[in-house]
Amino acid sequence: MARSARMAKLNYRLIEVGAARLAVFSPIESFHEHLDIVYPHQDLLEDEDFADVRVSLLPGSRWRPGGRQVSLWSEGLRPFEPYPLHSALPLFEWGSNWLLARRLNAYLLFHAGVVARGERAVLLPAAPGAGKTTLSCALHLAGWRFLSDEFGVVDPESGDILPMVRPAPLKNRSIEIIGERPGAVLGPRFPKTRKGDVAHFVPDRDSFDQRHRPATPALIVFPRFAAGAKLSHAPVPPAQAAMRLGLNSFNYESLGPVGFAALVALARRTPAYELVYGDVDAAIDRIDTLFASAPR
Amino acid sequence: MNASADVGLLLRGLHEPLRIDEGRWDRLLRLGRVSGLHARLAATNLDNPALTAVVRRHLLSAQRMAAYRTQMLRAELFRLAPLVTDDFPVIVLKGAAYVLQQRRLSVGRFVSDVDLLVPRPQLRTMESRLLDAGWRAEKLEAYDERYYRDWSHETPPMRYPGSTLELDLHHALTPVTGSLAFDPASLFARSEAIPGTPFRALCAEDQVLHACVHCFHDGELDLRLREVVDIDGLLRAFAEAPGFSARLRQRAAELGLERPLWYGLHFAEAWLGCLPAHELKASLPPPGALARRSMDALVPLSMLPSDPDFPPPMRVAIARTLLRSRYQWLRMPPHLLFPHLLRKSWRRLRARADANGQADGMP
Repeated sequence: MARSARMAKLNYRLIEVGAARLAVFSPIESFHEHLDIVYPHQDLLEDEDFADVRVSLLPGSRWRPGGRQVSLWSEGLRPFEPYPLHSALPLFEWGSNWLLARRLNAYLLFHAGVVARGERAVLLPAAPGAGKTTLSCALHLAGWRFLSDEFGVVDPESGDILPMVRPAPLKNRSIEIIGERPGAVLGPRFPKTRKGDVAHFVPDRDSFDQRHRPATPALIVFPRFAAGAKLSHAPVPPAQAAMRLGLNSFNYESLGPVGFAALVALARRTPAYELVYGDVDAAIDRIDTLFASAPR
Repeated sequence: MNASADVGLLLRGLHEPLRIDEGRWDRLLRLGRVSGLHARLAATNLDNPALTAVVRRHLLSAQRMAAYRTQMLRAELFRLAPLVTDDFPVIVLKGAAYVLQQRRLSVGRFVSDVDLLVPRPQLRTMESRLLDAGWRAEKLEAYDERYYRDWSHETPPMRYPGSTLELDLHHALTPVTGSLAFDPASLFARSEAIPGTPFRALCAEDQVLHACVHCFHDGELDLRLREVVDIDGLLRAFAEAPGFSARLRQRAAELGLERPLWYGLHFAEAWLGCLPAHELKASLPPPGALARRSMDALVPLSMLPSDPDFPPPMRVAIARTLLRSRYQWLRMPPHLLFPHLLRKSWRRLRARADANGQADGMP
């Protein structure tokens, strides 16, 4: 880092995604171009106050054999292995989510996609690989408001879900499955990252503009993609739903009694189903039906 | 707004509620996170009416994480309790003791491991009790195993399956090969029972001395500011007890620990305005001018967080290397030290070469 940059105040770029505010500094131009593509609705904000996550993405040595790399710096430390220089965006998205998951313990955080109609939300908790990102994006393209593909952010005081509207990282085959749908906007494709090929799906302006509008959980669907599977759904009783919600939470255990109370309240008042699907459109239809029948 | 002014504010915020704006809180929370003190900030500031909602959420988050870690510590101690019988004393050190003794400094203190001290003749007995009860030792290379067994003052770290906490079993507070080595028998003789538990704790004076030794004579330099905060917290807790200062002075002389005590007092006074430290320090022989000047230059650089906006500057890395060398020098005589360092450097180089090989084509 040049001495002059050290003296000056860093020019952070602010991104407001709803439940959190991110600040990122980077001298890498291609990274900023990628941010322009995947956060197209974000106005320029003055960096004067608070950010939940504040990181720098700095290039490594030009002379490294095997290619130049980029590191994510958070509070003067590098919590992750560097990525190749051109993959700054996946590193930022993945790294800042990891940091958020560790410090947003004012909220109960589920590993879940969330979509809504108005202020009534569907929570889609699932382990990685169950197709939750793909399904969240497909639901959004079918007219649902996009709240998140990764974080179900529940305020334990109100029971509401807060949006975290970030680009959704589609992996491998999902890139085509979603990319071919009408209206889909995708960022650049990053080949051979740790999770395979990745391209970011960009939520629409409407969802982004409503990123500060909370929603009430109306339905819980535990999705499971299985290639060629026939569509089926089964109700999950509240006690079981509570257990499965706990398994799909980032911080249920560490919130102690607060987490337990919020989780039980959520499972008690929200109908829950398990959904096995092999075809995305059939899954969307079934979620529409279940949502329509959920008590208001 | 510069980094050292913010560090000063962070240290002040450990003892009193702050009236600062969100931008300043942003910097403070980052410094707090990197030094492991953000939950301590929460302990003094969570009820502060001047907080905005977002700052309060972050303090609440830190407080909950610290409370969870403390709960995990209690679970670990609960599992350990049946292994403690009347035949020999088991002393809990540092964080675990502060929690069981309900000391104020344990509120918002992040616990990362459990340290137990047992008499050396019973070390193997305790180790096999732990293994029988399910604890497992970390797999080590033969050389590292020998380093722990022959030259250190603890066994290789153990862990109960599924537990987030590491367990270290000690038979002394200082490395057996080091210049500060002393007979730990009197630690047991002066230890105190912790009511309601089968464990014992070091007496107040020994707790302070141990915190000082650990802070200034251990290899890890990250989070060392936390250790000075511990020293400050202990001194404030004990200062009221009649005769404490005299006993501490005498005990430091007995065990040959006046030097680490002096540094502990010095930095607790300089960084945290610790009044009892100020008074005590005056009655101790100070280190030589050269030692003192170099510690005054190196310790703040390596132990206080640097500007969180930037990677640590080169001078921090240099200061840390120098302090680490000092520690190794004090810990092992030269005929053991030089072969040890050579071997370690060789292994580090090899590991780096391996990592570079693997990183190619693996984003």
